[in-house]
Amino acid sequence: MRKTWLRDYIIKRLFYAVIITWGILTITFILVRVGPTSPADKYLANLAARGENPAQVTAAIEARYGLDKPIYEQYANYLGNLVRGDWGWSFSTSMPVIELVKTHWIYSFQLILFSTILAALVGILIGIYSAVRQYSKTDYIATFFSFIGISIPNFWLGVMLILLFSVKLGLFKTYYDTGIPLFSLANLKQLILPVLTLAIGMMAGYTRYTRSAMLDNLGKDFVRTARAKGLPERVVIGKHVFRNAVLPLVTIIMFDLGSIVFGGAYLTEIVFGIPGLGRISFNAIFADDYAVVVVVTVISAFLILLINLATDIAYAYLDPRIRYD
Amino acid sequence: MTKGIKKLARVVGGMKNLVFILLAVLWGLTLLLRLFEPLGYLYLALGIVFLIYVVWPLYNSRRLVGYYWQRVKRNRLAVLGLAFILFLILLAVFGPIFTPDPTAANFEQKNLPPVGFTTSESIYNPQTAQFNTRLVNGTREHPLGTDNKGRDLLAMIISGARVSLQVGLLATGIAVALGTLIGVVSAYLGGKMDNILMRLTDIVMTFPFFLLLVFIVFIFGPSLAFIVLIIGLTGWTGVARLIRSEALSLRTREFVLASKALGASDGRIILAHLVPNVISLIIVIATLSIPGVIMAEAALSFIGLGDPAVTSWGMVLRAGQQSLDTSWWVAVAPGAMLFFTVLAFNFVGDGLRDAFDPRSNI
Repeated sequence: MRKTWLRDYIIKRLFYAVIITWGILTITFILVRVGPTSPADKYLANLAARGENPAQVTAAIEARYGLDKPIYEQYANYLGNLVRGDWGWSFSTSMPVIELVKTHWIYSFQLILFSTILAALVGILIGIYSAVRQYSKTDYIATFFSFIGISIPNFWLGVMLILLFSVKLGLFKTYYDTGIPLFSLANLKQLILPVLTLAIGMMAGYTRYTRSAMLDNLGKDFVRTARAKGLPERVVIGKHVFRNAVLPLVTIIMFDLGSIVFGGAYLTEIVFGIPGLGRISFNAIFADDYAVVVVVTVISAFLILLINLATDIAYAYLDPRIRYD
Repeated sequence: MTKGIKKLARVVGGMKNLVFILLAVLWGLTLLLRLFEPLGYLYLALGIVFLIYVVWPLYNSRRLVGYYWQRVKRNRLAVLGLAFILFLILLAVFGPIFTPDPTAANFEQKNLPPVGFTTSESIYNPQTAQFNTRLVNGTREHPLGTDNKGRDLLAMIISGARVSLQVGLLATGIAVALGTLIGVVSAYLGGKMDNILMRLTDIVMTFPFFLLLVFIVFIFGPSLAFIVLIIGLTGWTGVARLIRSEALSLRTREFVLASKALGASDGRIILAHLVPNVISLIIVIATLSIPGVIMAEAALSFIGLGDPAVTSWGMVLRAGQQSLDTSWWVAVAPGAMLFFTVLAFNFVGDGLRDAFDPRSNI
């Protein structure tokens, strides 16, 4: 019974995922099309400045990008190309967009990975402690600092960390050095400030979520029963309360990845000059390089979709109480 | 006189509608006066919605408002936050009268530190071909100092307060109004409509909020009114979900069934019964959404996608990062203001939520 339901549920979610992917692609296509400038304009300006015949150049560009075809054909090509992995040509860096993404994704990935691990570890531990000792001095301090953490704009925090540790104290470089190999201690050292910048806001969020998820369960009857039968407090908290709090927590952490972490990483990369996907999108914006901006936006939306899908399915699989009908 | 008003009210279908029409006319007149200011339209639309759905219900239940105010007052941080927000509003409205033009450059007064601070500056002397170091003191003329173009930092901060508050209040207004409407309609109508609206919500939600903003502003170009509109049009998804789940439980309550039995139309049930009953939730969500909106605008200007015509905190911070080694105060001040503003709204939102429903965890 449950097995068939689970299978149907997964099929339904996959079906939704396809619809959402289509929605993402369609919305980006419409936005680019409706926009006041054409992707070819900047290119055109460059070539026309070199004294080429504008009409000829326009025709050539339109043919090159398929802009002379009817709109539905352009739409079909756009969908087809993105799905097939033909993501277009980045003229500001003179390479295919897919190559650009392949060489730069790792920088974003390491930043997000380290920040998430740090934030989850510290945030969850503080949250548990805070909930167990509710209304204690530590709880008040933790709550107050988590307020500060969620309120501090991470790009300002990054600038302040640079000001304090790089400019005034000279402990770190003021920018990210790509000459340093990725898997080295020096790279870890130069990631300290960016990771802190991104992690502090997330940490504060996780502290709050953990605290409230723990408190939701702490007052339940099964906790009283566990205590009554003489289980040590460590087991009660770790096994009975935390296990029940962890599922909603994971959902929120995964959800955060989309709304807060991707945007936060984008800004952190810009502040520290880390050449990740955010930074290449940022550079592309000021070079009017449409293909790159579109691809970075679509990729991040698609990643979030996958993460959400995986979380939902795992959630339904792990928690026998869940039924979404 | 009163008879005339009552008669008029009956003609337009109730006192509420009469007030609504009068206000609309009034707003229309002011609108004519400032036709060329793009944000005028937004103020108009939101002002009307705000009066009908927030001010009017609150006025009608003064006793309840007093009760909640007593509860909010117990939260000291919330009161502190509220005081800061009021101070910020006063600063934004009256500050520009007392400060110089935030865009006026004056290179003779560049890089002045704030009052009470002293920095050293290297000046190239063409006659001796040497760098001379001299000490620079902050002056009372520029209490917060100046940037590398000699613009007054205090004036820039005040201009930024104006921008942030405008964006925060207007964009949140749009997002919350849209989210409430979509959430309530989705919950009330159910079935196919619910499915379509929720899939739309899923699609918009799948985009990382900030990246979507960057994408749209990149394509359509930055202007303050447009940024406000776009934040409003993309930020409604969370509101819609929360309101929908709340409205789902309201939909089957007796008073809704009763008014349905009495023959009320769908529109009337939604506007007269469902929306007023989620108003406390709306107020809390709106207050807690403002920080995110203000931060999004500041982040946009920080990366250079803000309206270049107005001085905002993000823009000043961007300039400040580029001159960290010569004038640190330019980066510190706007970010600190942004931080305190966001903190204040979070405190107030938290206080309101606890006052309305201590058990909820939005």
